[in-house]
Amino acid sequence: MELNKALSISASGMDAQTTRLRVIAENLANENTTGTSPGADAYRRKTVTFDNRMDQAVGAELVSVSKIGQDMSDLPLRYDPSNPAANADGYVKVPNVNSFVEMMDMRDAERSYEANLAVMQTTRSMLSRAIDLLK
Amino acid sequence: MDPTQLNLLDMADRRLAWLDQRQGVLAQNIANASTPGWVPKDLPPFAASLAAETGTGLAQTNAAHLAGTADDILAGVTTRPTARAPDGNAVALDQQLAAVADSQSAQELVLNIYKTYLGMFNTALDRGAS
Repeated sequence: MELNKALSISASGMDAQTTRLRVIAENLANENTTGTSPGADAYRRKTVTFDNRMDQAVGAELVSVSKIGQDMSDLPLRYDPSNPAANADGYVKVPNVNSFVEMMDMRDAERSYEANLAVMQTTRSMLSRAIDLLK
Repeated sequence: MDPTQLNLLDMADRRLAWLDQRQGVLAQNIANASTPGWVPKDLPPFAASLAAETGTGLAQTNAAHLAGTADDILAGVTTRPTARAPDGNAVALDQQLAAVADSQSAQELVLNIYKTYLGMFNTALDRGAS
């Protein structure tokens, strides 16, 4: 029955968005994580990509996290000679995390999660109404 | 008289099956709202798929008329996206959720019709008081 499949699909969507939220939390928590040795790289922002995959057991295309990658953009430099990670010129590599970008991503994840939840609730009420026919 | 042979219940049955299938397609679209390159899918309208299943298509009263075949109608399952994100994703969550709400209310309507109709049979069988 397709309604049961719809529940599984929505659940997979919620699961994927949860992983995305976890990565966003990681990024925000490491917003100030610099290296420990002179000239070392700081924390690099992580990115999430989704992919649809066919699930044979459910018989439908579910969504899953395909890859957690790294944002390879340049790490910004900050002048801070007293930092243990400062290079010979006194510059420290700081993480390429932008809290505004992360916030926006978080909102997007939340919105998608809500949408999946709404579908799940609707599907459940449709199922229970169909069962009510038996009464 | 066999209740399952009645046109109305048969029609309700088909409508429910269509709504059931559509809910799966919509759930897929919403779950893939962040998947790069995903274009939302949809089923052909119920009237079209009913016509395709039962063969009640357009009448050809002239030799120049084109025959609309079932395959033509059922092939149109990928919707034309209104907007695309830079990653190629074209799911508009609001449209999808509106479609979900739409199928929910349609299902409610059909089930109520079904129930009422079955109730009439119960009345005829003198079990209407239940």
